[in-house]
Amino acid sequence: MSDSAMTAEHVHGAAMEPSPFLITSKKLTVWLFIVADAATFGAILFGYGYLRFGSPNWTRPFTFVPNIVNGLLMTVVLLTSSLTMLGGVAAAREGRSGAAMKWLGATVLLGVAFAVLHLREWSGMIHEGWSLSKNPMGGSVQVGALFFSITGLHLLHVISGVIAIIVIAIGFRMRKLTAGHVETAGLYWHFVDLVWMFVFPLLYLLNVR
Amino acid sequence: MRVYVYVWLGMLAIVAIEAVLVYAHVSSGMLLASLLVLAFLEAAVALRYFMHLKYEVPLLFWTLIPGLLLAFAMMNQFWADAARLNTLRFPIP
Repeated sequence: MSDSAMTAEHVHGAAMEPSPFLITSKKLTVWLFIVADAATFGAILFGYGYLRFGSPNWTRPFTFVPNIVNGLLMTVVLLTSSLTMLGGVAAAREGRSGAAMKWLGATVLLGVAFAVLHLREWSGMIHEGWSLSKNPMGGSVQVGALFFSITGLHLLHVISGVIAIIVIAIGFRMRKLTAGHVETAGLYWHFVDLVWMFVFPLLYLLNVR
Repeated sequence: MRVYVYVWLGMLAIVAIEAVLVYAHVSSGMLLASLLVLAFLEAAVALRYFMHLKYEVPLLFWTLIPGLLLAFAMMNQFWADAARLNTLRFPIP
C-alpha cells in the first residue's frame, strides 16, 4: 500500500467500502463483459434460428466425415484448453510460476490448434464454393452467411483470448501482473468455451445431411 | 484439480451424447430440444465449476444470470415473425 493510501486509511478509515460481491473490480468487469457478450451471442443465435425457420430452401451442408469429426475434434481441443487454463490459474494462485507458464503455454497451443482446425474447415468449404453469398448446393445463401459470420465471431474471440493469455503469461512471468490477472483471463477463456457449447450443436449438429 | 478432470470428462460425455443423438433418427423438434437442454446443462456446469461461480457469493449469481436469462426469454418472443417471413417472401422461381 502506498504511503498516501496508508495515511488516508489511518486518518479517515477505509477509502472505499468493500465490493458487495467480494471480488476485485477487474474480475467484476470481466463478468459484466461476459454477460454483455453472452447477450450478443444469444441474439445472433436467435437470429440464426429465425432466419433458418423462415427459409423454405435451407440446406444442410455437413457430413460425418470430415465436418462433424472435425467439429468434435475442435470441441475436445477447446474443452481440454479449459482444463489446462484451470491448471494455470491454480498454479499461479499457489505462486508456482514455472508450472503456471507450462499450463498457460498448453492453453495457448490448444487455442492455436482450435483456430487451425477451424481455418482448415473454412478453407475446405470455400474450396467447395461456399461463401457469405454463395451456396453451392443451390439452396438459401443464408446458410454460408450465417455459418461464416457466427463461427467467425467465435474464432475472433478465440484468437483474442490466445493473445490475451500470452500477454498475461509474460506479465505474470515478469512479476508485473498477479494471479488475479491470470484468473480473469481464465474467466474469459472459459466463456469462449461456453459459447462453443451452443455454436457446435446449433450450427454443426443441426446441419447434418 | 481432480474435480475439474471429472467435470471435463462429464462434458466430453455430453458432447458424445449430442453427436449420437444426431444419428439416432429422432424428430427435428425433439433433436433441437435435446441439444438445447444438453448445451444449457454444459453451460451451467462450466459456469459453476470452470468459472468458479460456485465459490463466489450468491449475490454475484443473482446479479448476473437472471437478467441474462430474461434477455434470452425476450429474444424468444419473435418466432411468430420468423414464421411470417415464409408468407411474406416472393415465390422462388
